[in-house]
Amino acid sequence: MNKSIIGIYDNENLLISVLNEMDKENISIEEVYSPYPIHEVFKILKRKTKLPYATFTYALIGLAISYSFLYWASVKSYPLIYGGKPLHSIPSFIIICFVSMISISMLLSVLTFLARTKLYPGKRPMIHDLKITDDAFVMIIPKKPEMSENDLIKINSLLKASGAIKIIEK
Amino acid sequence: MYNVDIRDPLITGNKTIHQVTEEIYEPSQKRPKLWWYVAFVISLCALGFGNWALYITISKGIGTWGLNNSIPWGWSIINFVWWIGIGHAGTAFSIFLLILRQNWRTSINRAAEAMTVAAVMCASLFPLFHLGRLGFFFYMMAYPNTRGPLWVNFNSPLFWDYVAIITYLISSTLFWYLGMVPDLATFRDKAKSKIKKALYGFFCFGWVGSSREWLRLESLHWVMGGLIAALVVSVHSIVAMDFATSILPGWHTTIFPPYFVVGAIFSGFAMVLTLMILIRKIYKLKDYITDSHLNAICKILVFVSLIMATAYATELFIAWYSDNEYEIFTFFHNRVTGEYNNEFWIMLINNAMIPQLFWLEKIRKNLTIVFIISILINVGMWFERYVIVITSLSKDMLPSNWAEYSPSMIEIGLFIGTIGFFVICILLFFRYIPMIAIHEVKGVLKLTKI
Repeated sequence: MNKSIIGIYDNENLLISVLNEMDKENISIEEVYSPYPIHEVFKILKRKTKLPYATFTYALIGLAISYSFLYWASVKSYPLIYGGKPLHSIPSFIIICFVSMISISMLLSVLTFLARTKLYPGKRPMIHDLKITDDAFVMIIPKKPEMSENDLIKINSLLKASGAIKIIEK
Repeated sequence: MYNVDIRDPLITGNKTIHQVTEEIYEPSQKRPKLWWYVAFVISLCALGFGNWALYITISKGIGTWGLNNSIPWGWSIINFVWWIGIGHAGTAFSIFLLILRQNWRTSINRAAEAMTVAAVMCASLFPLFHLGRLGFFFYMMAYPNTRGPLWVNFNSPLFWDYVAIITYLISSTLFWYLGMVPDLATFRDKAKSKIKKALYGFFCFGWVGSSREWLRLESLHWVMGGLIAALVVSVHSIVAMDFATSILPGWHTTIFPPYFVVGAIFSGFAMVLTLMILIRKIYKLKDYITDSHLNAICKILVFVSLIMATAYATELFIAWYSDNEYEIFTFFHNRVTGEYNNEFWIMLINNAMIPQLFWLEKIRKNLTIVFIISILINVGMWFERYVIVITSLSKDMLPSNWAEYSPSMIEIGLFIGTIGFFVICILLFFRYIPMIAIHEVKGVLKLTKI
């Protein structure tokens, strides 16, 4: 049995209008693929990311690690006085703490992004249509066991009426 | 909305989304023209010259440079600061305009970021060259070692600089690369040869353009933008501290950090302008890099040039107003007049006076003149670093220390070598990588249609 219905559009506005209609009809949409980010799609699909919160947490961790390391290296491990400055010299720690905080939070954010989106070098993706990266907008609607024949007909007719250039069942 | 009457369209030519893909993809498919090979061979020769100079530096030592006891920093630090300055504006351009939601950045940011990565790589070579013995590079790193509990000096601005530049290189490369992943996926799906398909497929990380991917990529870009914006300002401030924390007349000034940051943005924007004019002309991308884009960069340059002029005037004023004889000597008898006055006046004319021509719309519309001025600004910015480094070191407080400096052929070779390396990077970028951010341009396309 086919698992999903795929609607392909060549126009962003048509895609958004059909997404709105499907949202009203409570038809769940698995995923939307597009050649560029569309904020309306995020809103309709209720997509949210916690990446900025993760970055903030990483920054705090980075700051704590950098400061602890500098304190340990300068005061405990190798207490050498440079130019009469105190061993625990906070002003001269600021720059390294600041820069290390940025590099640690950035690297961890990138790793989090790659892990959450499951992207990695050499990954073989499942491509629904080669034109997604060109000018096609693709919508995937999952076929659920509880869906009746009437529901499927309704979805198909919605897609046709909204101007889908291709409707595939896979 | 952007498409009000007072603004020109971001992209001209009433393009469709498919056209955007085709027109940006096309140059990477054609065999390069003769000019590309000629430029590549010339750059390779320059790189070869640089490698020879590096070989002499390593095998014979820093004594082959024109340095002496009074001037231990010569061309290497000048070139370092010059390259790092150019490297700053690329990402700064892309990030500041991203944060300020300036959609016109979309046609320019990719090339600007590529330029940044190449320029920062060139910059980071000079501290290595300056070590003379490259094998001792690892002494600069902070790591527990077998020499007992021995750490680097965390209180030194030179070490801060090292940490800042490594961070800047990594972060600007990541920012550039991650922004390019969707476009590499476009190239993967368009590529006809198996090798290209496999290569672009490998480097695009399996991107498919799902809403989850887009949302997270956008979010990551904003987060990185916020972090790198702070880094851009801090890195060049730290470079400035290499000078400002010393007690040498002409260096020991609190104006240095903002003055260096603005100078970096100035030279980098000028280099972006040079590059964009070339890309527009050579690859016939007039509809993407429009007159309006170049006009906007010119206007930014004239504004930044005024800040530079204010900084030069402030330095002179404070030297006079402080009534400090060493400062007065350095600024008035060793820069404005004296044996380094030519360099000082080239700096002043190229950075503070010539860019004022951009006030005139006629000049801003004449791309040949704009191109020449963009080059002159970079020449001027190189001389600015020359004036700062050499004039202050050559004549300090003790006349018995006074010395003159002229670079040796080895130092010139190293500089020319990095120019060759930079041009090679840019040529390869033109050839194999989407030089305009395809997905970003597509995203602003609807704003240009009325």
